[in-house]
Amino acid sequence: MYFQVGLADAETIFALSSGHGRCGVAVVRASGPASSTALRCMTRLTRNLPPPRKALLRSITDPQSKEVLDRGLVFWFPAPHSFTGEDSVEFHIHGGPAVITAVLHALGSVPGMRPAEAGEFTRRAFQAGKLGLTEVEGLGDLIHAETEAQRRQALRQMSGDLGRLYQDWSHKLKRCLAHVEAFIDFSEDELIEDGVLNQVDTWVCDLQAEIERHLQDERRGERLRTGVQVVIAGAANAGKSSLLNTLCQRPAAIVSPIAGTTRDIVETALDIGGFPVLLSDTAGLRESPDLVEREGVRRARERVDQADLTLVVVDCAHLPSDAEQAATFLEGHLRSVLSPQEQSLLVLNKTDLLPEEQRLELDWELRRVSGLPPVCHISCHTNEGLQDFLAVLHRSVKTLCGDPLSCAPTLTQARHRAHLQQCFAALAQYQRYRDIDLALAAEGVRLALTSLGRITGHVGAEEILDIIFKDFCIGK
Amino acid sequence: MLTKKPPALQSFLSLVSRHSSHLVRQQYDVIVVGGGHAGTEAAAAAARVGAETLLVSQKIETIGALSCNPSLGGVGKGQLVKEVDALDGLCGRAGDWAGIHFSILNRRKGPAVWGPRAQLDRQRYREFIQSELLSTPRLTVLEGSVEELFVSEPNPEEPGHHRVTGIRLANGSHPISASSVVLTTGTFLSGSLFMGQSKSPGGRIGDAPSSAGLSHTLRERLGLRTGRLRTGTPPRIVKDSVDLSLANVHPPDSHPTPFSFLNTHTHCKPEEQLPCYLTYTTPGVERVVRESLHLNCHIQEDAKGPRYCPSIESRVLRFPGRRHQVWLEPEGVTSDILYPQGLSMTMPPDVQLRLIREIPAMHRAEIHTPGYGVQYDFVCPTQLSPALQVKSTQGLFLAGQINGTTGYEEAAAQGLWAGVNAARCALSRPTVALSRTESYIGVLIDDLVSRGVTEPYRMFTSRAEFRTSLRPDNADLRLTLKGFEEVGCVSIVRYQEAVRVRDSLQDALATLQALALSTQNWRKKLPDMRMSEVKNSLLTGMDVLRYNDVSFEMLASAFPECLSHHMEFSQRLKIEAVYRPHCNLQKKEIERIQKEENMSLPQDINYLTLPVSLSHEVREILDRVRPTTLGAATRLQGMTPAAIIHLFNYVRRTGQKERRSHRNKPDQREERKSL
Repeated sequence: MYFQVGLADAETIFALSSGHGRCGVAVVRASGPASSTALRCMTRLTRNLPPPRKALLRSITDPQSKEVLDRGLVFWFPAPHSFTGEDSVEFHIHGGPAVITAVLHALGSVPGMRPAEAGEFTRRAFQAGKLGLTEVEGLGDLIHAETEAQRRQALRQMSGDLGRLYQDWSHKLKRCLAHVEAFIDFSEDELIEDGVLNQVDTWVCDLQAEIERHLQDERRGERLRTGVQVVIAGAANAGKSSLLNTLCQRPAAIVSPIAGTTRDIVETALDIGGFPVLLSDTAGLRESPDLVEREGVRRARERVDQADLTLVVVDCAHLPSDAEQAATFLEGHLRSVLSPQEQSLLVLNKTDLLPEEQRLELDWELRRVSGLPPVCHISCHTNEGLQDFLAVLHRSVKTLCGDPLSCAPTLTQARHRAHLQQCFAALAQYQRYRDIDLALAAEGVRLALTSLGRITGHVGAEEILDIIFKDFCIGK
Repeated sequence: MLTKKPPALQSFLSLVSRHSSHLVRQQYDVIVVGGGHAGTEAAAAAARVGAETLLVSQKIETIGALSCNPSLGGVGKGQLVKEVDALDGLCGRAGDWAGIHFSILNRRKGPAVWGPRAQLDRQRYREFIQSELLSTPRLTVLEGSVEELFVSEPNPEEPGHHRVTGIRLANGSHPISASSVVLTTGTFLSGSLFMGQSKSPGGRIGDAPSSAGLSHTLRERLGLRTGRLRTGTPPRIVKDSVDLSLANVHPPDSHPTPFSFLNTHTHCKPEEQLPCYLTYTTPGVERVVRESLHLNCHIQEDAKGPRYCPSIESRVLRFPGRRHQVWLEPEGVTSDILYPQGLSMTMPPDVQLRLIREIPAMHRAEIHTPGYGVQYDFVCPTQLSPALQVKSTQGLFLAGQINGTTGYEEAAAQGLWAGVNAARCALSRPTVALSRTESYIGVLIDDLVSRGVTEPYRMFTSRAEFRTSLRPDNADLRLTLKGFEEVGCVSIVRYQEAVRVRDSLQDALATLQALALSTQNWRKKLPDMRMSEVKNSLLTGMDVLRYNDVSFEMLASAFPECLSHHMEFSQRLKIEAVYRPHCNLQKKEIERIQKEENMSLPQDINYLTLPVSLSHEVREILDRVRPTTLGAATRLQGMTPAAIIHLFNYVRRTGQKERRSHRNKPDQREERKSL
């Protein structure tokens, strides 16, 4: 009843809190009222919780299968003395992806638990008044960075088969909802017959079966590209493919003096200072009458949008000889390749063709320009400057790996899984109420769409109404 | 019980004219311009809140007129009627008085989407509204046409660039001043009427066009952005000329359900109700439409019309080769006219006659009044606050079609809320807002002021995210208590009734919750119930009532000693039991939204220069829409989570600063913030 609703339980969230990449120990954190339950059933502490804020070594087990997943340290932080101000627990476990995935999976199976959204721990801390004013200042930027990382990741997945699958489901669900809503809002005085609902029944049934199959066999889904995504981009014939070959120390890509040699994406997996990197070489960015090359350029731009880090390669020989003009040229060039906030390194290739004096002058000029990414001089021909460049690249990759969202497919998979399970359960609500209460049945489809929307993007009421008016002749 | 009977129309009109000649003062708290659904609710609500109110209408006899369809309510719209009634508005009780055919739409689809609806007797409806207005203390009615608004410099302590201080009437009489003015001009703002190839100024056939001065003031003097919309109405048919044996009879509910929470039965007796008739278009109708397109200038114009209440022309053009429904609805107990719902058209009258005669039941039909189209200006509603006040102009409130909506119920809901706030403003009380989490009125206003309109806006249940909580059955609990305690627009009588209902329901639900039995015992008590054996767990009366085949009546006869005295609420208790778990799930989301909505954004922020990290795109959106709360900002298209956090932080910081230092009058600031 409206005036007298009992206190609904707040949801409990969990996430991998340590960075990705190679690490000895990973920290998985949970926050919310179900934290203590999660701790109990994953460590078989039936009687007492561990003393607050003290490390305790336990076997960590899957509450369903009772299988031992790892042995690690657990911490219990009762409210309000925790980062979020809520009951929290931490699991310090071994850093391998298999262990992390298993623990996240197990946490997801505890009732009341769900994977955290970007920035959610911080937001909860903020709401509980746990953050000082200066920390709050940084919060917006933090959330921005996290949502940026998520956006990139979503883009990556959405351009693949998996993305197409989810989009297709989302589209079908929108159709289902629109038809149910049409039946609710219009059927009495319009020409909308009960057949509409039979159609929805079939769609819902099919969707449920599809989602179930998908959940049961997750390996059939697209292999998520792991590692930091580094993309080489720049004008045609700047030496992008040579840079790829130099970095992976083998001729992975064809190089030639002819502009437009690379037309498709060439990918190679690398290990940069212990961090996994997926390096992609792309077609040179130029206007081309050639259809194949144009497609290559489109793919190149798409890949740059999805990149965690872009190496913008420039041919030194093509720079204006005046240093000031060269700096202006580089600024403009960067703008044409990337959008402003994307992370990048500026790689000036063929530095062996540049007189020493001109190079120093250019360096000096570039230092005066603010807002430029780090600049490296290299020559893929002589390997000059390669060591310095690798050091800069290593630093950037390391920073990126500190961000658990930018390259943690396990975390994303766990989130997707949870949302898909919610979607599945919500569709069951439709079936349960279909003949009893259509408002509650529609609520089920709506919840299903919201769950899926957390993977594919938000769906608003107007969009549903648009479908209604497209599919039905409404009018009285 | 049914609320009082209105006095005879004759005596009423004479009283009103006495008002107009002798009793009109020069100064009111609130002036309401327009006597349609928005205007009458606005005037009545303002007076209930305690403001000395003047209602100005072009023609006193058309106050409370149903300009288009003779019906009230429906799916989504019925919810609005229940909510207006819960806030002590007029239309619910007027519907109960004037209804001649009651039915609850969507009866089989779940109580959250039930659509209470009634066909109305036009004359009875008008009489009821007029008599209600007459008996409302502090309310004066005046016949006249408003020539212009008086605009002056703003009060520097409040946001806004202008201030409206009163009105001047067209007949050159003295100006009348007021603290608040509510405009409810419907389709009259630069309205044009279309029929065939002729076009004439006006907002409704038979009425004088409103003055050009008003729209000039709104656009030129106050700088408000306006747009143009269109609508239409069907020809009225002479009842005796229709062969009703060729149409399907559509009977009303055998037990009419009143709209109002105060009424237990309707004025019309169940057996006195009139039926509606259903018939269909034929290929001939489509042919006539196509042949006469060149004679039809309304549909050639590009003003936006509603997609859900289209003219017959646009229906057959968009969905050719189909048959379309046409409802023949009674216009009143003694009326000899039928209203053909679905046949809104704007072709020349002779073609209209040809068209309707293509429908078998109307093959010899005569037209009483031809149909016509209307095009009119509306004010882009994103320029309004959630109190329905024009943000740039102090004291000016807008409600109804002038805000781009369509429908009686949408107009009534806005009128009531604009009237409440106009009165509160005039009485120096803070304005109040309704959240989309607590009412359809809140959904309606929030959609209007934060998203604007591109076509005439109509309410649908699918617009309300929290539809399962915002049900027609609980509108009194959602709004009547608040309406009395916080808003001041509800009478003590209605309030006491709502308190009684609340307490009884609470009592009954507690009893049901305390009633815990094993499945075996439940089976013994309720032998008709199909219940699977669940291992030793206990089920409460609430759990059992949730079962589809269990009614409260069954429980009451099984446990007469503790439940039978709650039989009055048997239906509401059943609904409550079924919906409560779902509403509990929604509650968290509702709380989050409410928290954000309680955080108001100062209206004088310069978003373009605000020293906060926001993208240009976001700045422009904020500058254009100027949301009044953080919650409204969250729902804007193009907003990012980061921008919301930055805004939140900024508002909190400046709030703290202001508490320490002072700008303007500190006490007034505090009051505004406490909203």
